[in-house]
Amino acid sequence: MRRFAIFSLLALFVALEGRTVRADNIDLSTVPSRDTVQLTIYNSEDITLVRETRAVTFKKGLNPLQFSWANTLIDPTSVQLRFLNQADKLDLLDTTFPHAKPQMLYWNVQSEIDGAATIEISYFTSGITWTADYIAIADADEKAMGLEGFVRVYNNSGEEYENAQVRLVVGTINLVEKIAQLAQVPITDVAKMQSDKLEEFKKDATRRFMEKAGGMGGKAGDLDAQKAKEIVKEGLSEYFIFTIEGTETVPAGWSKRLRSLEGKAVPFRIQYRYRPAEYGDQLVRMYLLTNDEKSKLGGSPLPDGVVRVFRASGKEGLSYLTQQAIKYVPIGDKIELNLGPDPEVIFELIKLRSFRDELMLQVHGTSEFRKVGGDMVIKQENASIAGWDDHEVFTQRIRNYSGKDIEVEVRRTFPGHVVFRSNLEPKLHDYQTVEFLTRLAAGKRADLLFEVVHKQGTSVKQNNVTLQTGEVKP
Amino acid sequence: MRKWFAPKRLLLAAAVAAATFGPNLLCPSQAQARVKLITLPVRERVEIQLDNATATLVEEERIVPLVKGENQVDFSWANTQIDPNTIVFRVVAPVGDKPLDVKVLSVSYPPNEAALIWSVGSSDSGSARVRISYLLGNLTKSFNYRAVASKDEKTLVLSEYMRLQNFANEEFGSTNLFAGYGKTFLKPIGLNETKEMLVQKFEKVPIKKTYTCNVAEYGWLDQPQQKLRVPMHYVLKNDKANQLGAHPLPYGKARIFIDGGGEGGTAFLGEDWGRFTPIDDEMKLYLGVAQDIVVKRTLEKNERKHVSGNLFHQEVIVKYEIENFKDQAVTLDVVENLRHVRNEVRGDSGRDVEWELGKETTFQGGPDKERSTFEQLTFHANLPARAKDGKAEKITHKLHVLIKNEW
Repeated sequence: MRRFAIFSLLALFVALEGRTVRADNIDLSTVPSRDTVQLTIYNSEDITLVRETRAVTFKKGLNPLQFSWANTLIDPTSVQLRFLNQADKLDLLDTTFPHAKPQMLYWNVQSEIDGAATIEISYFTSGITWTADYIAIADADEKAMGLEGFVRVYNNSGEEYENAQVRLVVGTINLVEKIAQLAQVPITDVAKMQSDKLEEFKKDATRRFMEKAGGMGGKAGDLDAQKAKEIVKEGLSEYFIFTIEGTETVPAGWSKRLRSLEGKAVPFRIQYRYRPAEYGDQLVRMYLLTNDEKSKLGGSPLPDGVVRVFRASGKEGLSYLTQQAIKYVPIGDKIELNLGPDPEVIFELIKLRSFRDELMLQVHGTSEFRKVGGDMVIKQENASIAGWDDHEVFTQRIRNYSGKDIEVEVRRTFPGHVVFRSNLEPKLHDYQTVEFLTRLAAGKRADLLFEVVHKQGTSVKQNNVTLQTGEVKP
Repeated sequence: MRKWFAPKRLLLAAAVAAATFGPNLLCPSQAQARVKLITLPVRERVEIQLDNATATLVEEERIVPLVKGENQVDFSWANTQIDPNTIVFRVVAPVGDKPLDVKVLSVSYPPNEAALIWSVGSSDSGSARVRISYLLGNLTKSFNYRAVASKDEKTLVLSEYMRLQNFANEEFGSTNLFAGYGKTFLKPIGLNETKEMLVQKFEKVPIKKTYTCNVAEYGWLDQPQQKLRVPMHYVLKNDKANQLGAHPLPYGKARIFIDGGGEGGTAFLGEDWGRFTPIDDEMKLYLGVAQDIVVKRTLEKNERKHVSGNLFHQEVIVKYEIENFKDQAVTLDVVENLRHVRNEVRGDSGRDVEWELGKETTFQGGPDKERSTFEQLTFHANLPARAKDGKAEKITHKLHVLIKNEW
């Protein structure tokens, strides 16, 4: 059901005083139909720019046009009229929003011609959204995968858009900043705006951005019925525009999903990771791939979306592995899929020993310190332990029953003043996080020994980890 | 609205009217007008993959007739918990000798319906073998075990069962069920049906029957008399040497029986939760508290040794007086958590326990290195059978430990 329409009004009885709200009781209208529609949909904001063209016949003099949008989610302040041809002979004199009819406006157009012209009406609506999602099917030997990306367009705007060209804006968009850049307005000025003015500014700036993004595309010819539609991706400034080939009809209330990318035999590698800050206190199995041409991807960034990961069983069937939300992946960046723990790889941290040394006494009532057990052994009565080193010796035990050689990366965070001693060739991921890597053959067990020395009390001089190479006795 | 889906819960319909289709199939009015004839491709095959710990994947194979050009394939799932976002449509091996180039062009989701419509392009008229995969809720699995010990309690027969509960509001005919290991089952699964299947049966699995005292973990049987609880376990190791080790043993309830021999049949010993047991790890099944092994634990010595300032060592001797009233000799595992000991004698400092064993420790061979940790020691005490007159020999052991560098 069409809910909004434009009428060319032929008022017969009243002189055309265009600047007053119409109060005629008897009217005659013609209804110019839509020729083309273009939807430009954001996924980070509930905002869609609609541009439609219609052919309207004007007569010389004043031509009133009525535009109404009952039961839709159009922002009335965003509606704009533009003349695509005969623009020098047509003038929009004014726009009137009648008090009694909130979802309607009148334009008065002064024409120097008797004849047809194409007009463009643009406006913002909400309720049209899109999301991305992905399906990854790994080969049975887990060396390569098929990765398909999809876009799904939802139309809850209350209006049906027939044969619309659909364009999707990819990118995590902070409207204020990005649009401010486009509009070349200093961000400080944006911050000072009142909220209603800011909203208006955002919309205006968005419109400018959309205008930069290109004009209205025409209807594509009939497509080959066997061929899936291509989604053309083009970069623009910080954004990517996905344009769906041809036109689409998305009826009100429906949604439609189309393939946006298809990567066949995309190579990936497997790594096991222990990163409690990212994946919780467990060793997880990861599929690691890259969004680049070498990996048969890289045609565009990958928008935020959920990846559902399967593995082919080798007998035409699938195994479900996991689903994971990924953030926007730029071209060239990594895609990291967390498959969760693997019951066939056992990861245990075992504390082997714990002891203390470098015990320092502080003599009561003084700032004098004495080391316990040092050369200057004095049995001191009036003193308390003020500083010491806590030693903990661990083995990071990994058992690999997976049937394949594996690579394991371990990150452990040690707050405080810490010395990390081992022969594991670790490196510092950050000032308090140690990272080391090991490879483990199928069916093997590894015991990775390390000693952690925590400086305590007055012995604490830093808040960081120092790496030391050295043998660790179990 | 596609009313013809109502009688079935989960249904695939291929609308064969390609010649009348325009490029835009999704307008509701067109959707009604387009249906001149629909075919209802039946399930040729169903596989249920239960290898994921938290989700159940259903794969159904159907042969879908297609015409050259664009086709509409409707899939609906009224009153079932299919996650629509997980539905995957794949074309697998061709039907007959005529391979078709079949592609999903788009998927449309009608409002307020558990349904979707695939727009499928086909290079020619013919049939395509398709697999539709989806995650289905309320079709769950769990595992349980039946363990029958031999009369001498040296081995047991371990049967592992998978229990499938179908509250998904959908029935499946003959269905391949796969737990991720072991064999595949071919079974029908009815509505609201629970089905239990024997996944694997392991014969003559060697077991150890253990008696353990550990005041920190198992507590006292009679604290005023300082008598410890002595729980009993069957311990089986999940490795090849012990007839297992093919895969990790999943978490599940184990019902434990003992073979009485002869016509006595089996006797129920109890049940326990078998924890998830990786390969090479041990599964311990709790059998209850031993009544015939009495362990009295006392702290014989507690002496502070001053080092300097407020720093001291604490010397502790824990004494165990053990009597075995059973008719056979057994080995008792004596486990002592040194943090618990330190907390008993001087309270908790929050620091790890630094310790060394003293000379008065009597357990031969010292602590079992495989079973001891940095703060918990396991010793083994061999206990002879009681004498013929019924008297039990009192065995006394001591654990002498120096708890160091406390303040």
